Amino acid sequence: MTLGQSGRWLTGIGLLLLGGVYVRALAFTPVELHQGPAQKIFYVHVPAAWSAMLAMGLVGLASILFLLVRDVRYDRFAAASAEVGTVFACVMLTTGPLWAKPVWGTWWTWDARLTLTLMLFFIFIGYQLLRGAVTDPALRARYAAVVGICGLVLLPFIHLSVYLFRTLHPQPIVLKPSAPSAPPEMVATLLLSVGVFTLLYVGFVVQRYALGGAGRDA
Amino acid sequence: MPPNAPYMVAAYIVTAAILVGYAIALARRSRRSRDS
Repeated sequence: MTLGQSGRWLTGIGLLLLGGVYVRALAFTPVELHQGPAQKIFYVHVPAAWSAMLAMGLVGLASILFLLVRDVRYDRFAAASAEVGTVFACVMLTTGPLWAKPVWGTWWTWDARLTLTLMLFFIFIGYQLLRGAVTDPALRARYAAVVGICGLVLLPFIHLSVYLFRTLHPQPIVLKPSAPSAPPEMVATLLLSVGVFTLLYVGFVVQRYALGGAGRDA
Repeated sequence: MPPNAPYMVAAYIVTAAILVGYAIALARRSRRSRDS
């Protein structure tokens, strides 16, 4: 089985499991008392944010490794991860406002978490634009690596922004020192969804990496 | 239907559309690169 075929299998399984996440979230997870059904957006928004940040984290690490050892496979991986991260960032930035409108009464507010997340999206877009604009592969890889490392540096600020600044955005439910602040059924659905989104990330990246190896734009 | 349920439905549809759409786009690009 080729790399591309493995990626397609992983993606297919991930999409089937995404259907399972929808069924579990909609039919077998309790409705939150104050927010109502809109709270269930959480089960796609948070995993999408996780995948986007995982993607940027790995872009940054691959970029550092590329600059250290100059192995073009790291650059190819970073390019694949950045494209996939852009997709998950799109999911994050569309589902977030769809939750905010009924709960906050506004689609968007310039609070620290939202603004930094939008910056992450712009770094993803800038990364793609830069790769498209520079024709020399060696220069393209070096410039892109610098942008990738900037994205990596942004990640801790995004995670800590809800602690460092006064913000409307809810604080972490699971990724925090104390126990999860949600009922076990909700946490189980969230963790299942995070697992499925991570599988989709892997499937997409494997496919995109294989495309880069087939001589297409990296 | 509860008042804010349409927002949830929209979010789930948008998520599926983006992820399935990207999966289809990747599969088509892969087929094109094999053909060429």
